[in-house]
Amino acid sequence: MAFSALTEKYSGKMGTLTFGSGDQAITVGGQAAMPFCTFDGEIPNKPIVAMEVYDVVDPEWPAAVVDPFKDVINDPIAWAKKNIDEYGAKAICLQLASTDPNGENKSADYAAELVSKMIEAISVPLVVWGSGNVEKDAEVLSKICEVNEGKNLLIGPAVEENYKKIAAACLGYGHNVVSQSPIDVNMAKQMNILISNLGLPMDKIIMEPSTGALGYGVEYSYSVMERISLAALAQNDEKMQCPITNDLGKECWKAREVKLTEEEEPAFGPDLEKRGVLWEAITGFDMLLAGSNLLIMRNPKAVKLVEECIDELLA
Amino acid sequence: MASILTIPESINIMSKTIGPAIKERDPKPIQKMAIEQEEAGGDIQDLNLGPARKAGDEMMAWLVKTVEEVSDLPLALDTTNTVAIEAGLKASKTPERCIINSISAQPQSLEERMPLVKKYDCNFVALTLSEEGIPRDVNERGMCAAEIYAKALEFDLPSEKMFIDPIVLPVCVDPGQVASFLEFLPLIPDFAPGAKSTCGLSNISNGTPTELRHFLNRAYQAMHIYLGIYSSIVDAYDSEMMALCKGKIPQVEELTKTLMEGGDVDPNSLGVELQVYYRSIKCLKGEVLYSHSWIEDLVDKYDPNWYK
Repeated sequence: MAFSALTEKYSGKMGTLTFGSGDQAITVGGQAAMPFCTFDGEIPNKPIVAMEVYDVVDPEWPAAVVDPFKDVINDPIAWAKKNIDEYGAKAICLQLASTDPNGENKSADYAAELVSKMIEAISVPLVVWGSGNVEKDAEVLSKICEVNEGKNLLIGPAVEENYKKIAAACLGYGHNVVSQSPIDVNMAKQMNILISNLGLPMDKIIMEPSTGALGYGVEYSYSVMERISLAALAQNDEKMQCPITNDLGKECWKAREVKLTEEEEPAFGPDLEKRGVLWEAITGFDMLLAGSNLLIMRNPKAVKLVEECIDELLA
Repeated sequence: MASILTIPESINIMSKTIGPAIKERDPKPIQKMAIEQEEAGGDIQDLNLGPARKAGDEMMAWLVKTVEEVSDLPLALDTTNTVAIEAGLKASKTPERCIINSISAQPQSLEERMPLVKKYDCNFVALTLSEEGIPRDVNERGMCAAEIYAKALEFDLPSEKMFIDPIVLPVCVDPGQVASFLEFLPLIPDFAPGAKSTCGLSNISNGTPTELRHFLNRAYQAMHIYLGIYSSIVDAYDSEMMALCKGKIPQVEELTKTLMEGGDVDPNSLGVELQVYYRSIKCLKGEVLYSHSWIEDLVDKYDPNWYK
């Protein structure tokens, strides 16, 4: 008798989400198997990496994430173009750090205009990420939705304290929302329920389970995401059937391991750049193994490494 | 129908009315509550003093006398202060009917409290907790129980004196622990032949919306009853819970049995109240991921007198 490998059949499958418009739109999700397990079920869409662009850069950033963008680092639009033209970015994530009230506190109008210009200038789908300040994000992100009506952006993060305003704006003006929860699988489900109760369909929602970098809680994110995937696939839980994204660039590049020099920590060795690139790439790949559909990353070499892994495993 | 022993939980130093009454030695609110809990069908009065570090012995002795003045029910002396427990046993008219809370598999706990059980011939809660903390699975629960059981044998104590508490953990912390508890309950006779069982039920709903906690508590109770639990620490003011514990809601028992035996029913064929049990049991069995909205569309339609 011929050998037949045992496969896992799932009763459910992950939903999809499409962001961007026209020919440039990208669809993520839709898998009927655990990550890369193509022998168990179809994985119709490869995970995507969106490359980060900041509208203001923290002076503390290590050289490894400044040098690749040195010439464009003060111009988010030129930076985005460089990411696309030189580094092959398939999507861009605009991080609106300057809107943080504890920083430059730039206005919602400024942010909405920057997003409009960005959409005009680039040829790939856009993710727009707020500063993480709950009240300010509600104001800024809903303004962006309104001004850029119908552009099918991916907007976030919406959290328990501000999801109503952000998700309602996404619904009203034709965008998708990032539903963020604090490393808690029950809260991840609850957020999806709350947002879909507002009328936003599940194919307009992507989950961000809160991402920990390697050495900083990556295993917690991993475990929550695995449970999300199993609830979606094995338990056919429709409120868990939306894709997953991970905002990991900013987590990785603040780790002490990517910042300390050999003089400060001899055991870490001399190659700061390589250390940082690997830190981000490994974190990113961990998230893919846990079920991520969309990674938000910073360093071009790290992005390349992760994309090579994706292509090889899903060839 | 199945009926279990109930241990009403409301005489607790953390309570807004009971706490000050204990500190001011005002018997009235406590005696009122003891009478109410007995009238509601409670079988054992839990007297929870928490850590009771300061003058715990005087407090417990006073509390025991205060409650025994108005209620003939046995008492559960619930504190982490061993001196206070002994003071309570001394003060009681019938120490041999008391349950002391609790003896874990930690050496200090075994050494300190087992002699008390021997001396006063009382009952005790055997908490499946070891030096390594809360057991991670059913095997570690078994090891803790077996260790306490062995110590009880050393003291020549009959196993009926032992109430094993396998530790309820919240559904929104770790569904694996919820499952492990359920798996362990029917194994108690294997690990500790003759021992009884009990638990602090309401911890299951810790971290869930306050107004919805009793729905989860009741469903988990129904599952425990199906699995043959002997007793449970409960809210005696939850009359549906008390009816359930006294075997007066056969519809719930029947539904629970079907689901626990691997069967299923069409939830839409059930009334609102049984649908609440259905969904809660599905979450507690780990078949559906719990979220705070698990019964949001049913709560407003729930008739509190449906089972009467």
